[in-house]
Amino acid sequence: MVTAALNALGRPFAGIAPERRKFITLVLLTVVMLAFPIVHDNDGDIDSMANAMSYATLALGLNIVVGFAGLLDLGYAAFFAIGAYYYGILTSFQVMPEWSSFWQPFAALGLVEKMNQGGPDLVHFTLSFWLALPTAALVAAFFGVLFGAPTLRLRGDYLAIVTLGFGEIVPIVARNKSDWTNGAAGLNGVQAPRLFGWSFGVDATPYYYVGFAMVVLLIFISIRLRDSRIGRAWMAIREDETAAAAMGVNLVRFKLLAFAIGAAFAGMTGVFFVAKLQTATPEMFGFPVSTMILVMVVFGGMGSVWGVVLGAAVLQLLQSWFLKDLTQWINAFGDLVGSAWLRQVDLVQSIELIFGIILVVMMLFRREGLIPAMAKAPPLNMAAQTANVQRGGFTGLERIGRWQPAGGNALEVKGVTVKFGGLVALNAVDLVVPDGGVVAVIGPNGSGKSTLFNVITGLVHSDGGSIRFHGAELLGLAPHEILEAGVARTFQNIRLFPNLTVLQNVMIGEHARLHAGPVASVLRLPGTRREEAGARAWALDIIGLFGNRLTPRIDQIVSGLSYANRRRVEIARAIATRPKILLLDEPTAGMNPAETLELAEQIKSLHELGLTILLIEHKLDVVTRLAQNVIVLDHGEKIAEGLPDDVRRDEAVLTAYLGRTAQAAHAGVANG
Amino acid sequence: MTTADLILQQLINGVSLGAMYALLALGFTLVYGILELINFSHFNIFMVGSFVALMTLDAFGLKGQTVVLTGLPLAGVLLVAFLVTMVATGVLGVGIERFLLRRVRHVKGPAAMITTIGVSYILLNVVLLTTGADAKNFPNPLPAVHYDIGGAVLRLREILIWIIAFVLMGGLSYFVNRTRLGKAMRATAQDPDAARMMGIEVDRVIMTAFFVGSALAGAGGLIFGLYYNFTSASVGFVAGLRAFTAAVLGGIGNVPGAMVGGLIIGLIEASGGQLIATAWTDVVIFSILVLVLVFRPSGLFGRMAPNKS
Repeated sequence: MVTAALNALGRPFAGIAPERRKFITLVLLTVVMLAFPIVHDNDGDIDSMANAMSYATLALGLNIVVGFAGLLDLGYAAFFAIGAYYYGILTSFQVMPEWSSFWQPFAALGLVEKMNQGGPDLVHFTLSFWLALPTAALVAAFFGVLFGAPTLRLRGDYLAIVTLGFGEIVPIVARNKSDWTNGAAGLNGVQAPRLFGWSFGVDATPYYYVGFAMVVLLIFISIRLRDSRIGRAWMAIREDETAAAAMGVNLVRFKLLAFAIGAAFAGMTGVFFVAKLQTATPEMFGFPVSTMILVMVVFGGMGSVWGVVLGAAVLQLLQSWFLKDLTQWINAFGDLVGSAWLRQVDLVQSIELIFGIILVVMMLFRREGLIPAMAKAPPLNMAAQTANVQRGGFTGLERIGRWQPAGGNALEVKGVTVKFGGLVALNAVDLVVPDGGVVAVIGPNGSGKSTLFNVITGLVHSDGGSIRFHGAELLGLAPHEILEAGVARTFQNIRLFPNLTVLQNVMIGEHARLHAGPVASVLRLPGTRREEAGARAWALDIIGLFGNRLTPRIDQIVSGLSYANRRRVEIARAIATRPKILLLDEPTAGMNPAETLELAEQIKSLHELGLTILLIEHKLDVVTRLAQNVIVLDHGEKIAEGLPDDVRRDEAVLTAYLGRTAQAAHAGVANG
Repeated sequence: MTTADLILQQLINGVSLGAMYALLALGFTLVYGILELINFSHFNIFMVGSFVALMTLDAFGLKGQTVVLTGLPLAGVLLVAFLVTMVATGVLGVGIERFLLRRVRHVKGPAAMITTIGVSYILLNVVLLTTGADAKNFPNPLPAVHYDIGGAVLRLREILIWIIAFVLMGGLSYFVNRTRLGKAMRATAQDPDAARMMGIEVDRVIMTAFFVGSALAGAGGLIFGLYYNFTSASVGFVAGLRAFTAAVLGGIGNVPGAMVGGLIIGLIEASGGQLIATAWTDVVIFSILVLVLVFRPSGLFGRMAPNKS
């Protein structure tokens, strides 16, 4: 219904191009926001708006952690507290060490003043608000890394509870360490910001403009990060950590980065909030505050930049404007009908109840929030949906270049053993893949084929042996380092990033080959811009290999694709990593015979370009068509190796597949 | 008091607190064992339990600390109070599961956990808005019988708490290990899909886990009131977080582990006032939580929850 109403409103503007419409909306919004304090000269309302802005910046910060990277942080207010106390302590009269010559250089920089209140000379900290904003961001980011580092290995729900623990510890420390914070009574005499000698004082208007500038800046940073290599890596972690690592994302670095940037936003907001309020008490930063910010993010839409800003604004203004008015109306109505209960109702008091209801209702009925992070792609027309089976391998291969096999062996697996408790999944397996060759691994279910792939790509630890790739040892490397070395894989049960588009999935494959860091992504200088354009072009080239199977669907969410198309996206994502060897785990599983043939020929055409391939496959005709050498695994041991046709007639292989008695009866059937 | 007396006294207090935390921890563990869900509404089911108990005792005419009962009336009143409280919180837990959590249980990601946070907030604020934020006097109908062991005092209150906790935990162990439904519960915890295919009604098992866990939390709420002689809307959060620490410490999903974990947390809280300032007790407990999760996420006695990945 909301959508219908919005569509009706938008109809007169349908003639304007979407990009232009967006630009005009932004300009109008900015003008309205800038004019608000001038037009509406009510200090209380301007103050409410300034508060709403500080909650919007908090929501933007939490959105990076929860919405982008999927790390549920229930103690986010701790970083808000750190920023607040950092500025509060360094501008108030709370902490005043004795003066010594050590402080002289700081005094010269204007950071401290010498004071005398009778007795020895004391140090009064006088950190400027404008210097405090960026430095508080750094301090909070440091604590973000400090709190984040030990928790990164934890699963999502454990992470939530640990952050909750940290979130409780910080206010308790603030309460108990009263010589620094004045405990529960709160810091006194926090200085208002000054600009060219003019103090902001207690008037709300200057804070409104500073808050607005912060919101604009943080929206800008959030959007730039979201649409970059950094944002894609975060979303990959959110969607599937294992697949993200296998696609080259350094989990530790990118989780810490999300924690640090989220914390930095909160630290800055803490400075702003305390400067505006000119006091700080431990109660301002407890679990209810963390929850309120989470409610704002959930309400607006996790991962949606405009959504969380809207969520924060709506909830904050609901609290300070709407509920007050509504309470007065209900009370007046109570007077009218003579109901004592209605006369006393105070909805402002029940704001937390409303928050609770919002959380539950949103989770049950609208998990994507007010403004969903992912827009729905328009449905395809019939022509775009119709795909014919393509014969003769990939088209458009000339655009992706050739591999130049150097000869020798690409991959050498020697004596690799993997144990799960008492079960030996792989027992001293040897395997060689020549550079430029295609080797297939076959074997009954549970024979250790996928474990072999997992140990090569660093997803499981080995209990001995060695895996050399172009001479360098892979064992002991993290999955992302193995991908960087040039080993890319697909998964037997397809591990795409389900809520991202086809294009995003394939571009995440390029992660390890791109270089833009967080700063470059925010500034988006020409070099970064070129890199992004190149990354997109490369992804489109690879998607284009599959003809019109995927190209019309680049903006569709992959979880809505057909099974075969999801397999294709996964293969495209692996090719996008620019691998030196491609590990395909049952690439044709679940495909019909025509699709199987199509894909087999496509894989063959990659081989003809010089790409080295290691393949797990059940369909023997595919193996025969592609592989130069076949390895047979059974119960974790290599039982045979050789040319496809020889392996098919091998005694041990027939026994493994068909059983000893069945073998006699079906000896002639096995070559089917 | 000598040091030995002091230690003995803190041991007595600690075991009583520990019994309460253990009852609360069991609810976390039962639900987590089956759903891999941290149930934040459990925090305030405990709190609601203490209020139901308060109202029940009030209904018997027990107000404040003035009325003291002995013998059969005391046993009867306590029995009724425990039954009413446990049934009320049990039904509350089942209602939350049936009407809210069931709809988001299968959603990947944090949706279910966020729902429980919302439910917890709703419970807290409904109580807050109807009764106010101030602490409520909790009746203490027990006669002031006590035994002196050296310099330490063992009151009837503690003995009673130990007996009740022992009976409830014994009953739970029997239920989980010896009954048909308990077996179904253990099977569901290992693999819900396989359990469903073996003819186990998984939804019923989950509802049972919520009922039993919430009922134990209600009993914990009553014990809280008897021990501290007050209750308030805000008691759920800290007690819940401590009990969750207990569950993690014992190995989440592990029923005996939750009992031992509860005992350890109770002893830490009791001795915390002695060894470190009371104000820092929670910092110690939450630090334990963080350290255990980081360095030994399977807890002291091993996780019993399945490894669904």
